Amino acid sequence: MTIVAVIPAYNEQSRVAEAVRDALLYVNYAVVVDDCSSDQTSKNALDAGAIVLRHMLNRGQGASLQTGTDYALENLKADIIVHFDADGQMQGSDIQELIKPILDNRADIVLGSRFLGDSIKMPLSRKLVLKLGMLFTLCISGIKLTDTHCGFRALSKKSAKDIVITRDRMAHASEILDLIKVYGLRFVECPVTIKYSPEVLAKGQSSWGALVIVKDMLKSKFLDV
Amino acid sequence: MIFQILLIAFALFAITITTKQYRLRKVSLYWFISWTLLWTIVIVVALIPQATDPIAQLVGIERGADLLVYVAIVVLSYGLYRVLVRLEKVQKEITQVVRQVAINKAEKSKGHE
Ligand SMILES: Nc1nc2c(ncn2[C@@H]2O[C@H](COP(=O)(O)OP(=O)(O)O)[C@@H](O)[C@H]2O)c(=O)[nH]1
Ligand SMILES: [Mg+2]
Repeated sequence: MTIVAVIPAYNEQSRVAEAVRDALLYVNYAVVVDDCSSDQTSKNALDAGAIVLRHMLNRGQGASLQTGTDYALENLKADIIVHFDADGQMQGSDIQELIKPILDNRADIVLGSRFLGDSIKMPLSRKLVLKLGMLFTLCISGIKLTDTHCGFRALSKKSAKDIVITRDRMAHASEILDLIKVYGLRFVECPVTIKYSPEVLAKGQSSWGALVIVKDMLKSKFLDV
Repeated sequence: MIFQILLIAFALFAITITTKQYRLRKVSLYWFISWTLLWTIVIVVALIPQATDPIAQLVGIERGADLLVYVAIVVLSYGLYRVLVRLEKVQKEITQVVRQVAINKAEKSKGHE
């Protein structure tokens, strides 16, 4: 059973090594996709033991996840793929619970949920935006979840092959949900702990990012060829 | 009067450019013909604006000039849409190339694996 963590990273030199080491305690390979960072992200990830794929232009988090997934399936013969962040918000120790439903063959994809778990110091504004996201997804994709935009997920080989992310930027989370519906994949949610430190909030997506996601989704509904 | 002259001058300019580009095989014949046709119509309308009135009245618009503005807006919107779709496609192709290069040049640290 080969378990691969795919870690998109953009200018995460101070945090990526820690995240890689943490993930590697629970997976066989950590694949960091360095999205044209201008800092030492690649080097630090490499030193921490990751396999590094480097985008020579910034293509976004969605594109990076797909790059890592292609590599994991083709070159590493992954059986399970875990989406993991480089910024230290996620706990490697949650991976065990996250992949269990796939190991037990109860699910094809497991979605981390911040609302089932403890989200340490999640700001109220973020909570509200995420609740809106939940309603929006229920309306658009017809899937009921407690958390629609958590980046912590585990995918079986089958679902990783089915779910091909084409939305390069941040709307990929919604796209994944759409594809779950399209392919009739079995999904479950699993509580995860996400840490919100001041540092993370300063650099991470602002709540306004939600508007960009909605824009990207609508755009792709109209422009996809 | 000045506007008409400017318009015609610009139309002639546009046609000249297209002809040159077509000679250099930088645009297709299809593109050359439709582009030239479009600007020829513009010249005709600029010279005899009333000429379009009957056509406009046929579709229930009083003045030919108004009809032209409406048609122009529709054509431009469609053109813009086409460009956006195309742009999206180019973006996706760039991603594919970037992805392929990244995968081919995967780096592993020594000492691990
Ligand atoms: N590959 C890639 N990763 C990105 C990009 N932007 C953010 N990330 C990574 O995606 C993960 C989550 O990003 P973050 O901004 O913290 O989003 P949030 O946790 O949802 O608020 C981190 O590991 C970032 O390094 C990008 O443009 N490209
Ligand atoms: Mg984050």
